[in-house]
Amino acid sequence: MTDLAERRGAETTVYQPAEDSGLLAEAALEEATGRVLEVGTGSGWVAKRVDEEAGEVDEVVASDVNPHACRQARERGVEVVRGDLLDPFRAGAFDAVLFNPPYLPTDPENEWDDWMETALSGGETGRELIEPFLDDVERVLAPEGIVLLLVSSLAGYEEIRGRAADAGFDDEVVREESFPFETLSILRLSRRSPSSSGDY
Amino acid sequence: MKESLLDVVCCPLDKHDLELDVEDRTDEEILEGTLTCSDCGEVYPIEDGIPNLLPPDMREESD
Repeated sequence: MTDLAERRGAETTVYQPAEDSGLLAEAALEEATGRVLEVGTGSGWVAKRVDEEAGEVDEVVASDVNPHACRQARERGVEVVRGDLLDPFRAGAFDAVLFNPPYLPTDPENEWDDWMETALSGGETGRELIEPFLDDVERVLAPEGIVLLLVSSLAGYEEIRGRAADAGFDDEVVREESFPFETLSILRLSRRSPSSSGDY
Repeated sequence: MKESLLDVVCCPLDKHDLELDVEDRTDEEILEGTLTCSDCGEVYPIEDGIPNLLPPDMREESD
Protein backbone atom coordinates (compact mmCIF):
# COMPACT_ATOMS: atom_id res chain seq x y z
CA MET A 1 0.00 0.00 0.00
CA THR A 2 2.97 2.34 0.09
CA ASP A 3 3.44 2.73 -3.60
CA LEU A 4 1.54 5.34 -5.54
CA ALA A 5 1.36 3.08 -8.58
CA GLU A 6 -0.29 0.30 -6.57
CA ARG A 7 -2.74 2.65 -4.93
CA ARG A 8 -3.75 4.21 -8.21
CA GLY A 9 -4.81 0.93 -9.75
CA ALA A 10 -6.78 1.39 -12.91
CA GLU A 11 -8.65 4.46 -11.74
CA THR A 12 -7.14 7.70 -13.03
CA THR A 13 -9.57 10.45 -12.11
CA VAL A 14 -11.37 9.92 -8.78
CA TYR A 15 -10.19 8.16 -5.60
CA GLN A 16 -12.58 5.34 -4.76
CA PRO A 17 -13.50 4.22 -1.22
CA ALA A 18 -10.83 2.12 0.52
CA GLU A 19 -9.85 1.10 4.07
CA ASP A 20 -9.11 4.69 5.03
CA SER A 21 -12.54 5.82 3.84
CA GLY A 22 -14.22 3.12 5.94
CA LEU A 23 -12.30 4.14 9.03
CA LEU A 24 -13.20 7.81 8.60
CA ALA A 25 -16.88 6.98 8.01
CA GLU A 26 -17.06 4.81 11.14
CA ALA A 27 -15.50 7.53 13.26
CA ALA A 28 -17.82 10.16 11.80
CA LEU A 29 -20.94 8.07 12.44
CA GLU A 30 -20.05 8.11 16.14
CA GLU A 31 -18.51 11.54 16.59
CA ALA A 32 -20.05 13.95 14.08
CA THR A 33 -23.10 16.08 14.87
CA GLY A 34 -24.95 19.04 13.41
CA ARG A 35 -23.57 20.55 10.24
CA VAL A 36 -20.70 18.57 8.74
CA LEU A 37 -18.11 19.38 6.06
CA GLU A 38 -16.07 16.73 4.31
CA VAL A 39 -13.01 18.23 2.62
CA GLY A 40 -11.59 16.30 -0.35
CA THR A 41 -14.63 14.07 -0.61
CA GLY A 42 -13.51 12.21 -3.76
CA SER A 43 -16.30 9.87 -4.80
CA GLY A 44 -18.52 11.25 -2.03
CA TRP A 45 -18.85 7.85 -0.33
CA VAL A 46 -18.00 9.01 3.20
CA ALA A 47 -20.15 12.14 2.96
CA LYS A 48 -23.12 10.13 1.72
CA ARG A 49 -22.82 7.52 4.48
CA VAL A 50 -22.60 10.20 7.15
CA ASP A 51 -25.57 12.06 5.67
CA GLU A 52 -27.72 8.94 5.59
CA GLU A 53 -26.64 7.06 8.70
CA ALA A 54 -25.35 9.47 11.35
CA GLY A 55 -28.11 10.00 13.89
CA GLU A 56 -27.11 13.45 15.10
CA VAL A 57 -26.04 14.95 11.78
CA ASP A 58 -28.40 17.52 10.25
CA GLU A 59 -26.60 18.44 7.06
CA VAL A 60 -23.51 17.39 5.11
CA VAL A 61 -21.57 19.56 2.67
CA ALA A 62 -18.60 18.19 0.74
CA SER A 63 -15.84 19.76 -1.31
CA ASP A 64 -13.14 18.69 -3.71
CA VAL A 65 -10.67 20.44 -5.99
CA ASN A 66 -11.17 17.80 -8.68
CA PRO A 67 -14.13 18.43 -11.05
CA HIS A 68 -14.54 14.70 -11.74
CA ALA A 69 -14.80 14.01 -8.02
CA CYS A 70 -17.34 16.82 -7.64
CA ARG A 71 -19.51 15.26 -10.34
CA GLN A 72 -19.30 11.75 -8.82
CA ALA A 73 -20.17 13.06 -5.38
CA ARG A 74 -23.12 15.00 -6.76
CA GLU A 75 -24.38 11.94 -8.63
CA ARG A 76 -24.29 10.14 -5.30
CA GLY A 77 -26.59 12.82 -3.92
CA VAL A 78 -24.04 14.81 -1.94
CA GLU A 79 -24.21 18.61 -1.73
CA VAL A 80 -20.83 19.53 -3.21
CA VAL A 81 -18.67 22.60 -3.76
CA ARG A 82 -15.58 22.75 -5.92
CA GLY A 83 -12.89 24.48 -3.92
CA ASP A 84 -9.39 24.44 -2.48
CA LEU A 85 -9.31 22.99 1.06
CA LEU A 86 -11.20 25.33 3.42
CA ASP A 87 -10.92 28.51 1.35
CA PRO A 88 -14.59 28.86 0.29
CA PHE A 89 -16.14 28.21 3.72
CA ARG A 90 -17.37 30.69 6.29
CA ALA A 91 -15.99 31.20 9.76
CA GLY A 92 -17.78 29.19 12.44
CA ALA A 93 -19.96 27.30 9.96
CA PHE A 94 -19.38 23.65 10.90
CA ASP A 95 -19.84 21.39 13.92
CA ALA A 96 -17.54 18.77 12.40
CA VAL A 97 -14.97 18.78 9.59
CA LEU A 98 -13.80 15.45 8.10
CA PHE A 99 -10.66 15.04 6.01
CA ASN A 100 -9.02 11.98 4.49
CA PRO A 101 -6.08 13.85 2.98
CA PRO A 102 -3.66 12.97 0.21
CA TYR A 103 -0.77 11.73 2.32
CA LEU A 104 1.60 9.51 0.36
CA PRO A 105 5.11 10.96 0.40
CA THR A 106 6.06 11.45 -3.24
CA ASP A 107 9.30 12.08 -5.03
CA PRO A 108 8.78 15.30 -7.02
CA GLU A 109 10.60 13.75 -9.99
CA ASN A 110 8.29 10.78 -10.04
CA GLU A 111 4.86 12.37 -10.17
CA TRP A 112 2.06 11.69 -12.62
CA ASP A 113 0.49 15.09 -12.80
CA ASP A 114 -3.06 13.82 -13.07
CA TRP A 115 -6.12 13.91 -10.81
CA MET A 116 -5.30 10.62 -9.11
CA GLU A 117 -1.98 12.04 -8.03
CA THR A 118 -3.83 15.04 -6.59
CA ALA A 119 -5.93 12.57 -4.61
CA LEU A 120 -2.99 10.59 -3.24
CA SER A 121 0.20 12.61 -3.11
CA GLY A 122 1.11 14.61 -0.04
CA GLY A 123 4.29 15.96 -1.60
CA GLU A 124 7.76 15.07 -0.36
CA THR A 125 6.75 15.00 3.31
CA GLY A 126 3.25 13.58 2.83
CA ARG A 127 1.98 16.65 4.72
CA GLU A 128 1.74 19.31 2.02
CA LEU A 129 -2.06 19.41 2.20
CA ILE A 130 -2.42 18.41 5.85
CA GLU A 131 -0.43 21.38 7.14
CA PRO A 132 -2.41 24.18 5.45
CA PHE A 133 -5.60 22.34 6.41
CA LEU A 134 -4.59 22.27 10.09
CA ASP A 135 -3.53 25.91 9.99
CA ASP A 136 -6.98 27.07 8.74
CA VAL A 137 -9.53 24.57 10.06
CA GLU A 138 -10.10 26.24 13.43
CA ARG A 139 -11.56 29.22 11.55
CA VAL A 140 -14.50 27.26 10.11
CA LEU A 141 -15.44 25.43 13.32
CA ALA A 142 -18.43 26.32 15.48
CA PRO A 143 -17.58 26.92 19.16
CA GLU A 144 -17.77 23.22 20.12
CA GLY A 145 -16.74 21.98 16.68
CA ILE A 146 -14.43 19.03 16.08
CA VAL A 147 -12.15 17.77 13.32
CA LEU A 148 -11.82 14.13 12.32
CA LEU A 149 -8.54 13.74 10.43
CA LEU A 150 -7.23 10.53 8.95
CA VAL A 151 -3.52 10.19 9.72
CA SER A 152 -1.19 7.61 8.19
CA SER A 153 2.07 6.69 9.85
CA LEU A 154 3.62 7.25 6.41
CA ALA A 155 2.97 10.99 6.67
CA GLY A 156 4.53 11.40 10.13
CA TYR A 157 2.13 10.87 13.02
CA GLU A 158 4.03 12.95 15.58
CA GLU A 159 4.67 15.79 13.14
CA ILE A 160 0.94 16.00 12.43
CA ARG A 161 0.05 15.94 16.14
CA GLY A 162 2.58 18.72 16.70
CA ARG A 163 1.10 20.85 13.94
CA ALA A 164 -2.40 20.33 15.36
CA ALA A 165 -1.17 21.36 18.80
CA ASP A 166 0.39 24.50 17.30
CA ALA A 167 -2.99 25.29 15.75
CA GLY A 168 -4.59 25.14 19.20
CA PHE A 169 -6.04 21.64 19.26
CA ASP A 170 -6.10 18.75 21.69
CA ASP A 171 -6.11 15.39 19.96
CA GLU A 172 -7.46 11.96 20.72
CA VAL A 173 -7.25 8.78 18.65
CA VAL A 174 -10.78 7.47 18.07
CA ARG A 175 -9.98 4.73 15.53
CA GLU A 176 -6.81 2.89 14.59
CA GLU A 177 -6.00 0.08 12.21
CA SER A 178 -2.64 -1.42 11.22
CA PHE A 179 -1.68 -2.63 7.78
CA PRO A 180 1.61 -4.19 6.64
CA PHE A 181 3.18 -0.87 5.66
CA GLU A 182 1.27 1.74 7.58
CA THR A 183 -0.97 2.41 10.55
CA LEU A 184 -4.07 4.49 9.94
CA SER A 185 -5.52 6.53 12.78
CA ILE A 186 -8.45 8.88 13.03
CA LEU A 187 -7.50 11.86 15.17
CA ARG A 188 -10.33 13.75 16.80
CA LEU A 189 -9.24 17.35 17.27
CA SER A 190 -11.00 19.78 19.55
CA ARG A 191 -10.03 23.28 20.63
CA ARG A 192 -7.71 23.13 23.59
CA SER A 193 -9.57 24.16 26.70
CA PRO A 194 -7.95 27.03 28.64
CA SER A 195 -7.59 24.79 31.71
CA SER A 196 -5.44 22.15 30.02
CA SER A 197 -1.70 22.45 30.36
CA GLY A 198 0.88 24.11 28.26
CA ASP A 199 0.95 27.60 26.93
CA TYR A 200 -1.23 29.36 29.47
CA MET B 1 -26.62 23.39 -4.98
CA LYS B 2 -29.35 24.18 -2.53
CA GLU B 3 -29.95 27.80 -1.64
CA SER B 4 -29.10 26.95 1.97
CA LEU B 5 -25.49 26.41 0.91
CA LEU B 6 -25.15 30.22 0.99
CA ASP B 7 -25.14 29.93 4.80
CA VAL B 8 -21.76 28.17 4.73
CA VAL B 9 -19.86 29.41 1.66
CA CYS B 10 -18.02 32.67 1.09
CA CYS B 11 -15.63 34.25 -1.38
CA PRO B 12 -12.43 32.17 -1.25
CA LEU B 13 -10.31 35.29 -1.74
CA ASP B 14 -11.61 37.67 0.92
CA LYS B 15 -14.28 35.65 2.83
CA HIS B 16 -17.07 38.11 2.11
CA ASP B 17 -20.70 37.13 1.35
CA LEU B 18 -21.70 35.81 -2.06
CA GLU B 19 -24.74 37.01 -3.98
CA LEU B 20 -26.67 34.42 -5.95
CA ASP B 21 -27.96 34.91 -9.49
CA VAL B 22 -30.03 32.02 -10.80
CA GLU B 23 -30.22 31.08 -14.48
CA ASP B 24 -31.80 27.65 -14.12
CA ARG B 25 -33.23 25.83 -11.12
CA THR B 26 -35.50 23.06 -9.95
CA ASP B 27 -37.80 23.27 -6.92
CA GLU B 28 -34.97 22.00 -4.75
CA GLU B 29 -31.77 23.42 -6.12
CA ILE B 30 -29.92 25.78 -8.40
CA LEU B 31 -28.48 24.15 -11.53
CA GLU B 32 -26.95 27.08 -13.39
CA GLY B 33 -26.07 30.58 -12.26
CA THR B 34 -23.39 32.63 -10.60
CA LEU B 35 -22.15 33.60 -7.17
CA THR B 36 -20.70 37.11 -6.98
CA CYS B 37 -18.59 38.42 -4.13
CA SER B 38 -20.33 41.36 -2.48
CA ASP B 39 -16.95 42.97 -1.82
CA CYS B 40 -14.37 42.23 -4.53
CA GLY B 41 -16.94 41.50 -7.28
CA GLU B 42 -15.30 38.23 -8.39
CA VAL B 43 -17.85 36.02 -10.19
CA TYR B 44 -17.96 32.26 -9.55
CA PRO B 45 -19.92 29.98 -11.88
CA ILE B 46 -22.50 27.37 -10.87
CA GLU B 47 -22.53 24.62 -13.51
CA ASP B 48 -24.58 21.41 -13.45
CA GLY B 49 -25.51 22.15 -9.86
CA ILE B 50 -21.90 22.53 -8.66
CA PRO B 51 -20.57 25.93 -7.59
CA ASN B 52 -16.94 26.43 -8.60
CA LEU B 53 -15.39 28.40 -5.76
CA LEU B 54 -11.79 27.90 -6.79
CA PRO B 55 -9.89 31.19 -6.93
CA PRO B 56 -9.65 32.44 -10.53
CA ASP B 57 -5.99 31.46 -10.96
CA MET B 58 -6.76 27.82 -10.12
CA ARG B 59 -9.98 27.75 -12.13
CA GLU B 60 -8.19 28.26 -15.46
CA GLU B 61 -5.50 25.61 -15.22
CA SER B 62 -7.41 22.64 -13.95
CA ASP B 63 -9.76 20.52 -16.02
